[in-house]
Amino acid sequence: MKASKRIFLFLFVSVLSILIVSPTLFAQVKEVKIGVILPLSGPLAPIGKSLKEGAELAADIVNNKYPELDISIAKWEGIPNLGGAKIKLIFADSRGDPGWGSEQAKRLIEDEKVVGLLGAYQSAVTKTASVEAERAGIPFINPDSTSPALSKRGFKWFWRVTPHETWFTKDLFDLLDGLTKGKAPGVKAVPKSKLEPLAVAAENTEWGAASLAEIEKFAKERGWKIAEGFKYPHTAADLTSETRKMIASKAPTFLFAPYVADAILFVKTMKEMKAKPRLIWGQDAGFVEADFYKTLGADVNGILTRDLFSAEMGKVKPVAGKLNEMYKKMTGYDFSGSSARDFVGVQVWAHVLNNAKSTSPEAIRKALNELHIPGKELVMPWKGVKFGSPFPNDTQQNELGSGVINQYQGYPDGKLHIIYPFEFATSKLIYPFPGWK
Amino acid sequence: MRQVLKDIFSFEDRPRFERIGFVVFILIILVFPWMVHSAYGRVVMIKFLLFALFGLGWNLIGGYGGQVDLGQAKNVGFGAYATALMMFWWNTPFWVTVPIGMIVAAAESFGVAYPMFRLKGHYFAIATLCVALVWKELFVFWDWTGGARGVELTIRPTPDFTYMQFGSPIYYHYFIFLLFITQLLFMNWFRKSKLGYELQAVRDNEDAAASLGINVYRTKVITYTITGGLGAVGGSFMTVYYLYIDPDFVMPLDLSILIAMTVMVGGAGSLWGPIIGAAILIPLDMYLGAWLGAGKRLGIDFMVYAVIMMVIAAREPRGIWGIIERLRKKG
Repeated sequence: MKASKRIFLFLFVSVLSILIVSPTLFAQVKEVKIGVILPLSGPLAPIGKSLKEGAELAADIVNNKYPELDISIAKWEGIPNLGGAKIKLIFADSRGDPGWGSEQAKRLIEDEKVVGLLGAYQSAVTKTASVEAERAGIPFINPDSTSPALSKRGFKWFWRVTPHETWFTKDLFDLLDGLTKGKAPGVKAVPKSKLEPLAVAAENTEWGAASLAEIEKFAKERGWKIAEGFKYPHTAADLTSETRKMIASKAPTFLFAPYVADAILFVKTMKEMKAKPRLIWGQDAGFVEADFYKTLGADVNGILTRDLFSAEMGKVKPVAGKLNEMYKKMTGYDFSGSSARDFVGVQVWAHVLNNAKSTSPEAIRKALNELHIPGKELVMPWKGVKFGSPFPNDTQQNELGSGVINQYQGYPDGKLHIIYPFEFATSKLIYPFPGWK
Repeated sequence: MRQVLKDIFSFEDRPRFERIGFVVFILIILVFPWMVHSAYGRVVMIKFLLFALFGLGWNLIGGYGGQVDLGQAKNVGFGAYATALMMFWWNTPFWVTVPIGMIVAAAESFGVAYPMFRLKGHYFAIATLCVALVWKELFVFWDWTGGARGVELTIRPTPDFTYMQFGSPIYYHYFIFLLFITQLLFMNWFRKSKLGYELQAVRDNEDAAASLGINVYRTKVITYTITGGLGAVGGSFMTVYYLYIDPDFVMPLDLSILIAMTVMVGGAGSLWGPIIGAAILIPLDMYLGAWLGAGKRLGIDFMVYAVIMMVIAAREPRGIWGIIERLRKKG
């Protein structure tokens, strides 16, 4: 064999062997798959779509460079400790059905080989989907379900980022107690007798029932009297007798846990019956839907609602404002409390993967239990993300979260203004409720 | 006794091609978990068997009896709640809760059947639908059933044959297959029983049946009662399979309609109809949902599904079994 032929053969074999071996040599994790289960069809499809967009925006920020954003994931371009691996979200539609949620979780875990799961908005779906993660020993991060029972099951592979109903009810009573102590912005101390007793109306699905139970529990603990507390079907076409019951109780404070159609009906009926409550508070849901304020117009002004986010947040937290602008550019609408929480869910995944330096479930589990993301990194008004046991029997529940209480002011020109936490307030509280014209 | 056993296990009266098809089908189901390695494939198979089970039960009143019942979900709910609540309160083993769920569902069906069978046709269908909706609302309203919050069972170390909890879907596959085959053999016996013949006579012509001395009213009530009991079995399975139930999940109107549709698409009143219907509807729905459900165009899976359903309904209103029968007669 000639020398040149020999050299050619040597080079050919070398190149070939490098080509064969190289994928294993450079086989680093190129992407990390995370399964996201959301209600993408059915009655909750519009919300599901906004949650999906929130998660997609966070993945985009992790995977690409955004130097103008003052949060760490914006500077990473992938997961630094995993060799710059990109986050890939694999979405699955739960159809809002617990059975589907469970089946899609199985598919994502075993067929798609995801590293972990995120979702699933409705508490019932989160319950069944997280059972599959628990059985498989795969981490499930829940950013958006608020049934208190979820974090009391003692699951080893389930972490909840969002505060739950117990928390939101605590916020309500902190606001009421704050009002009596003169802590509310722009309002002098209000004697308790002007706020007591309370009248509570809650719709009768899981969420409403849980809300009513929590309000009754906190009222007892904090020494607030309830004159009237009842459940009603949220599909009712007429709420006259329910409204009459509340007015007859002579309670100055009206609390509601309604969906949207019944929330509108309650406000209309109260206006017709010339009800004169001094304070009206709603437990999110119906009170923050676009249909609520679009239908009622200026009649919403003065109403308080529990929420998790407000577009006003940018005034007190610039990073929230910037992220909201990006989200609005992408979707055409502002972040809601729910879509902002799913953004945080992906953010938590990114931090955890980076801290774990591995995609093995045990390493991720350890990283989750040791995680601490400071509040300045988040779009939410929270003190951060750290899992612990903030309320009795809670396990692996974020203990640094909080809700906000907003008030409709100056609608249709203005919108929701933050009143609570008092340190994040963007406006003075309008108290007492001005009534309807 | 021998005759009863023969009626249960013998398919001799069916044509040869049906018997061969049945054996092939059983063999496929038996080897399926070992041949298919996709977890979703196994999940789809389990759901197919569950809906075939529901369909077999419904076929009794809806197919052989010709009475359109749009309330089978209530019986699924009774079974699911009997298992869930008894396990939750008293740690009752699964196999004890199943007969109790069946008895509760059958007793309720018997109770409501008397007034409901005073109605006929569409009025009967509406009555069944309303009764099921009333039960669902009651389960939401009552606190002792867990209300809208439902009932959640704790995860046990697996495999557990007392509470029927397993980590691997392979166990659930054979578990639901066992329930399915038991019900199929029961149906095989039923269609050849005296009540079965009476029921088919009532379906074909009530007046003619009455003139032959058949008590039409009694026949319908008994059949409706049995249908109720059979519906509960699948509900009990759902409880231990998903470990969580609530009224919206196990008793919705959608479930009643899907059960009825499964049988109608496959061919109501035929032994194989419910199986064929479930074999088409369930995989179609689940794979379309998984492939297209979370894509760019949300909801497209439902559109494709609806178009396929409309084509089947327009081509052959008697269901797929009608098409098979027609082809066979031509051949």
